Parts: sequence; structure tokens; C-alpha cells
Amino acid sequence: MAPLEATLPKSRKSVSMAAIFERFGLAIFLGVLLVAAALLSPTFLRPANLVNVLTIAAPLGMVVVGQAFVIMVRGLDLSVASLMATVAVLATAFKATSNDAIPVIFIAAIVLSALVGFVNGWLVAKRNVSPFLATLAMMIILQGVRFAYTGGAPISTLPPGMSFLASGRIWGIPVNLMTLAVMAVVLSIVLHRSRLGREIFMVGSNPKAAFLNGIAPDRVTIACYVICSVCAGIGGLFLLGYVGTVSNWVGQGYELDSIVAAVMGGVALSGGRGTILGALLGVAVLVVINNLVLLLGFPIEMQLIIKGIIIVGAAAFYRTRLV
Amino acid sequence: MSALLMDLRRNRLMMSYLIVGGLILLILVAGGVLSDRFLTWRNVTNVLQQLIVLGLVSLGQTFVVLMGGIDLAIGSLVSAVTVFLANFLDWRPDLVWLAVPLALAAAATVGAVNGILTVVLRVHPLIVTLGMSSVIFGGTLMYRKEPGGSIPRALEDIAYRNVGGIPVSAIVLVVVFAIAGLWLQRTRAGRNIYFVGGDAEAARLNGLAVGRITVMAYALSGLCAGIAGLFLTARTGVGDPRIGAALTLQSITPVVVGGTILAGGRGGVFGTFLGVLLVTMLNSLLNFVGVSSYYQWIIQGVIIIVAVGFHTVRRT
Repeated sequence: MAPLEATLPKSRKSVSMAAIFERFGLAIFLGVLLVAAALLSPTFLRPANLVNVLTIAAPLGMVVVGQAFVIMVRGLDLSVASLMATVAVLATAFKATSNDAIPVIFIAAIVLSALVGFVNGWLVAKRNVSPFLATLAMMIILQGVRFAYTGGAPISTLPPGMSFLASGRIWGIPVNLMTLAVMAVVLSIVLHRSRLGREIFMVGSNPKAAFLNGIAPDRVTIACYVICSVCAGIGGLFLLGYVGTVSNWVGQGYELDSIVAAVMGGVALSGGRGTILGALLGVAVLVVINNLVLLLGFPIEMQLIIKGIIIVGAAAFYRTRLV
Repeated sequence: MSALLMDLRRNRLMMSYLIVGGLILLILVAGGVLSDRFLTWRNVTNVLQQLIVLGLVSLGQTFVVLMGGIDLAIGSLVSAVTVFLANFLDWRPDLVWLAVPLALAAAATVGAVNGILTVVLRVHPLIVTLGMSSVIFGGTLMYRKEPGGSIPRALEDIAYRNVGGIPVSAIVLVVVFAIAGLWLQRTRAGRNIYFVGGDAEAARLNGLAVGRITVMAYALSGLCAGIAGLFLTARTGVGDPRIGAALTLQSITPVVVGGTILAGGRGGVFGTFLGVLLVTMLNSLLNFVGVSSYYQWIIQGVIIIVAVGFHTVRRT
């Protein structure tokens, strides 16, 4: 009896340590990164810089939150960046100069995004196209539509209010960060408290079992793709306002950055695991790394090298048993 | 039982082959009708000449995808090889015999490192190869930011020389694909790639060295990217740190259009070859008809969906 009792608490403790490590690994990593950043660069902790980092993080965060939904049901969405740019071009299509047009722009962007998401989801769920391929095709198609519409040279007529949405502040807090917070809270509730959320986790961990339990996996999958695209569309509008000018490449690179951030944040590519908060932590890590490399005055090529190493290192450090 | 499974696999592949083959025929007919120069020998050799780079990177991607992974470092690696060759040969044009094997060995090593990292760190290949891609791109930019450098005339020759009217590069490509196909089907090492891709856990329980097979698949992909970089340098005559960027995603299209399943374990190099033919011929046709590249993108996207949207088995 005695030896067993002696070993039991110890082993239990080590298990819980591992669980804590797995659960909070990225938060710990982010903490280490922040301390390192503060030590390495005196500029990092200045409020102006921190607000700047968060402002840049917000549109990516919006995309990542949506991406997390798709990854949760074993998918991924490569069309988000292309959709962001397409939404940006759509925003100029109204040639609006007054702020009255902003709601119209948002509604049009959300409708277009939802449509794109529906097609992605339909291809994946109903036509059994692999998510990689369906969204890759969507990415290319949107790119073609966008360029064909603009003729390669988009105009930049935007209501002045757009830039306030993206880089303005209320009580010192960036508007886009508030928007991200609202989106994150709402989608967290959807994911962790609603029936749809439970169904997403079931479909993600075992589509067959979900089906046998009376869930329609196809509908859940399509819903996830629609959520993802709408998030990306909104992110596109906010990024557009931040950049200020419309180009055909608004959001370029966000498709891979958003997947990397979500996966670093513990959203498993094998589906059925992850949290919105974790995904946002992934965004924070990515953005802090970018900012730090910039502040330390490394040349652009060093940024790429360090980013690459840290992305792999963080994923290995956190190691979410992805297969 | 295994024969039956084999048959089923063949049938599903056969369907991809038929669809892609049908599309290729359609392009041929459309090309013949829409332009009187599309089916000339001159354009045929032109298309054949263009096959090699896309063909090689897609072949490399096929090994990795069959094994159940994905390689997103291909584009950066191709660019890096062009920069290395052009810089090295600009410095010592007489050392071609050294530069080429060195470049290929380095490319294969980078691929192997990708494999080792996925095995040792147990991180998803998407993340590993993406990180590697970023590292390679950054490293390449340190040596060259704009296209430049030079290569000796003899090396340029491999991209343009014809034998009996047929470009050497196309012959090389067919031979490489034939060897790859035979290797995958007829040797133990090749079949192990299918085994690991089909079910890595079962392969491990059956005593296969899953780690070593994984590393081999990535090393082969790296080697293919290296050869592709060699031919690309020969064609352009310079090293360009951005020239391969688009190849990463382009390398995946022919693989999946050719019926290889992204989840691994099913498919083959013949389908990839057809996929490469289809994509290259389609681009050529659209250029001939004078369709702007904007619409070319739309058409390509639709083709991907049409080619795979009606028979692909969902990855599990």
C-alpha cells in the first residue's frame, strides 16, 4: 500500500504538469517572448509601439478567428487573403465619398464573403473536394475576377470613415481591436457554448460518429466555411482602411499566416481541438516576432529567417500532437 | 483481398486519368479549331520545353503527398538553387562539374532536413516546410536581391537543345517520370511510401522505418526541386530569388488533378504527368487565344474544381 500511495501523487502531479504545459505552452512562450522583447529593445514597451502592434494584429486576428473554425472541422481556407483583396476592391466599386456608404459597403462585403464561404463549404462537404484544393481554386478564381474587374489597376475611392475604423481610437483603444474583441467573444460563445459549437467539435473529431448521432456534418462544415469567409471579409475591410489604398494584393500572405497562427495557438489541423483564445495567442506571438525583428533593425532577410525558425520552434515547443 | 483493393485503387485512378485525358483532348481540339498555329510542331516543342520545371517540382511534391505530407518549401528551394548556380558560375564558369552536383546535393539535403524536422519535432509538415521556406527565402535574399549572375553557354544548352526535333528537357522529364513510376510500383522502398501514406501507424507496427521513409520522400522532393532549379537557371541564364515563389502552389495542382489524394497513400506519378501536361497545355492555349492572364486564373480555378470535384475521396 505504502509504495503505491507514495508513487501515486507524484505521477498524478507529473501528468497535470504536462497538461498545464500543453494547455498554456503558448502563453508561456508568449510571456518569454515579451520579456525577451522588452529586454532586447527599449522601444518595444513604449505605448505607441504596443498600440501599433495591436493595430496591426487586429485584422490578422479577425482572419485567424475564422480560420480556426474551418481548421476545427478538419479543413483549411487558402482563399482568405484573396477574399480580403476582393472585398477591398468591392469597397471601391461604390465610388463613395461620404460615410453614409459604409454600412452598404459592409453589407455587400459580408454578402459576398458569405457566398464565397458557402461555395467553399459546398465543394468540401457536398462534392468531397479536399479543402486545400477547393479553397486554392477559389483563391485563384477570386484573383482572376478581381484583376479582370480592375484591369490590374484599382481605383482608391473610399469613404473617409474607413480609415477611422481601421486606425482610429475611442478612449485610446483602437477601434479595430474592439471589433476583434467583440468578434472573438461572440464566436467564442458560438464555439464553446452553443449547439453549433458542440456539433463543430463532434464533426471535427469524428464526422462519422457525429452523423450517427443525428448531426448533419455537411451543414456544420458549410457553416464553418461561411463563418471563416465572413471573418476574412470583415478583416479585409479593416485592413483596407489601415493600408488606406486599395491594391489587388491587400492581405497577401494572410492565408498562410492565419493558418500558422491558428495552429501555433493549438487549433489542431486534425480537427476537433482548439479555442478562439488560443488562436488569438498564436496571432500575438506571430505579430510580436515580426515587430521585434523590425525593432532590432535586422534586414528583411533576417526577419524571414528568424520568423521561419521561430514558427517551427514554437510549434515544436507547444507540440499539439498534430498528425 | 489485396488484389481487390488494388483494383479499386486502380479504378479510382483510372477515372482521374480519363477526366484529365479528356480535358487534354478537349484542349487539343479547341486549340486546333481556335488557332491554326497551336498544333504546329513549333508550338508542340515549345510546350514540351516548358514542361520540365513544373514537371519536376510536381514529381517531387507527388512523393511527399503520397507519403502523407506536403512540401511548401519547393518554391524557395528552386529560387535558392538558381541563385546559387548563377552566383557560383559567375565567379568560376569553369567549375560547372562541381557546381551542379553541389547544388543538387544541397537541395536534397534541405529536403531531408524538412523530413528530419517533421519526424523529430513531430510538427505538422505544413508548418515545418513553411518555416523552412521562409528561412531559405531569407537566406537567398542575403546573397542576391535582384535577378543577376551568369552561367556558361554550355549549361544554357540543356534547356534549349533538341534531339531529333524533341527538346532534351522533355526527354529527361519522361525518363525521370518513368524511373520514378517504376521505383514506386516495383521496389520495396517505393511501395513503402504508399504504405506510410496509407496508414503510418500500421506501417510502423509492421516494422517499417517510418521516419527514414519520410525523410527519403522529402529528400527526393528536394532533389527534384534542385533539378528544376538547374533547368530554370539554364533557361533564364540568371539567378532570381523570387522566380520560384509561385511554384510552391503550382506544384500541388498537377498532383491532385492527377488523382493523388492529399491525405496520402493513393495516386501515382502517371497522374501527375498528365496533370502537368494539362496545366502547361492550357496555359499555352489561353495565351494563343489571347485570353488575358486574369481570365486564365479563373479558368484554371474552375478546371481544378471540375477535374477533382466529382470523384475525390475526402481526406480523413
